[in-house]
Amino acid sequence: MNTFLSALWAEALKARRSRVPLLTAIGFSLAPLVGGLFMIILKDPEAAREIGLIGTKAQLTVGVAEWSTMFNLLSQATAIGGAIGFAIIAAWVFGREFSDRTAKDLLALPTSRETIVAAKLIVIVIWSFALTLLNYGLGLIVGKLVVIPGWSLELLQSATVDIFGAAVLTIALLPYVALIASAGRGYMPPFGWAIFTVFLSQIAIAAGWGDYFPWAIAGLFSGAAGPRSELLGFHSYVVIALTSIVGLIGVFGWWRSADQAQ
Amino acid sequence: MDYAIETNHLSKSFGDVQAVNDVSLRVKRGEIYGFLGLNGAGKTTTIRALLGMVRPSAGEVKILGQAVGPHGRSPWDRVGYLVEDATAYPDLTVSENLDIARRLHGIKDRRVTDVAMERLAIGPYADRKAGTLSSGNLQRLALARAMFHKPDLLILDEPAKGLDPAGVVEIRELLADLAHKQDVTVFMSSHILTEVDRLATHIGIIHQGHLIEDLDKERLDHFRGRRLEVKARDLDRARAVLTEAGYTVTLNEQQATIILSEPGAIERPEEIATLLVSQDTPPTRLAVEHQNLEEHFMQLTGAMQ
Repeated sequence: MNTFLSALWAEALKARRSRVPLLTAIGFSLAPLVGGLFMIILKDPEAAREIGLIGTKAQLTVGVAEWSTMFNLLSQATAIGGAIGFAIIAAWVFGREFSDRTAKDLLALPTSRETIVAAKLIVIVIWSFALTLLNYGLGLIVGKLVVIPGWSLELLQSATVDIFGAAVLTIALLPYVALIASAGRGYMPPFGWAIFTVFLSQIAIAAGWGDYFPWAIAGLFSGAAGPRSELLGFHSYVVIALTSIVGLIGVFGWWRSADQAQ
Repeated sequence: MDYAIETNHLSKSFGDVQAVNDVSLRVKRGEIYGFLGLNGAGKTTTIRALLGMVRPSAGEVKILGQAVGPHGRSPWDRVGYLVEDATAYPDLTVSENLDIARRLHGIKDRRVTDVAMERLAIGPYADRKAGTLSSGNLQRLALARAMFHKPDLLILDEPAKGLDPAGVVEIRELLADLAHKQDVTVFMSSHILTEVDRLATHIGIIHQGHLIEDLDKERLDHFRGRRLEVKARDLDRARAVLTEAGYTVTLNEQQATIILSEPGAIERPEEIATLLVSQDTPPTRLAVEHQNLEEHFMQLTGAMQ
């Protein structure tokens, strides 16, 4: 446990000293702020036009100015923004060791490689949840400030499950990003992978196979394409759990066994 | 015998490239082993295999008596290392970089990193971000990271890389001190032969993946000695004259030079000149030269090419 806590401390220090947490926090603040702006506009489109917030020809299709619309925006931001944003975190945590050529200094230590990988994954999970919490909390504050109608405790509970559930499902697939950052020895391959999976998800959903395609499941869970009870089944959660386990085996196995010749 | 490093028929290939081929090394505890080779000879791959970073294609590696590999017990708490270029987390300070290493070694005493910084003369840079260090100070940081936990074995790839001449001398003295006073085994690779020649008690030369020379202390002392070099127009006759007179003669055919290593010849070269003149084969050149490892290395690797 002590070695794990030491590894976790080390990974947290590396993250704290970089600018990436700030940049990702700014990125994840955009959705609630833009959501708040939409709510202002939707509440009174004519007033918004008059003060120049939107153009005269603007067609707003986001919905009506209600808490359900705001929460819908936040959960979609978590699922779709998370697919890219969380991947950036995982790519940085693992990929920077290769870009900075520091990975070799982690390989022959009393702290095992598995412990270091586990610490990195935990930092990614904590970081991703912190961003989700920022998105959620800022959304609530902005919504209260803008004074949106339609608040209820049931809606809040349902939205909380949507947002944090989508985050869990997105985070579950991050071991693949970690594996590709490690095997690809840098940032670019995992970025490419993240974009590729978002693209494939759209195709899978369009083809009606989204409930079986792991990278589409978080998006469907968030309610982006309709009520999740109609779109996902128990099999979807089994698929994502199995895919996550395979990814974890892959990233731990790679760090344990792959030749580190560069 | 209990060796600090032992490899048996170690081979490593990457696809069609045979980086290391059937290398059997024995490094005794307390030795300073200089591992020499040209660029691409297989030095770094061997070092990575010693540290378990690459899996041997064949053969085995033992470090401090423990097998290295997925099923081996870890000897890494007793090993310090520096592989290839010195690197550090650029956003972290020198002190924070060492703190990470200290924690990953499970050492609670924070003072060990202060002592290492002082020893490597990077104390004044403790709060400076590693990304802003000069290459020499980055090298010192990497060496401090390799040494702070007082390892029994240091595996260092080009330890003097990036250091200024004063730094080179400083590190040489530090390594000698660790080996002689604290019985630390040092395995260092280099292509700066003069540095290795001054420091090492045992030298291995790797070329095209093969260990082509293994010089223990006795043979190294031979290379570090003086010799009398003799040239003559009729080299065969001069050689015969000297042999008849009881000298042990070696002929360097490539340089058309007779070499005499015995003290009698080196101390009294005028007797050799008189002898050769009296036998009607006067020397065209007679010189006492210091033998050096560089020459031996060039001959070996040149011959192999």
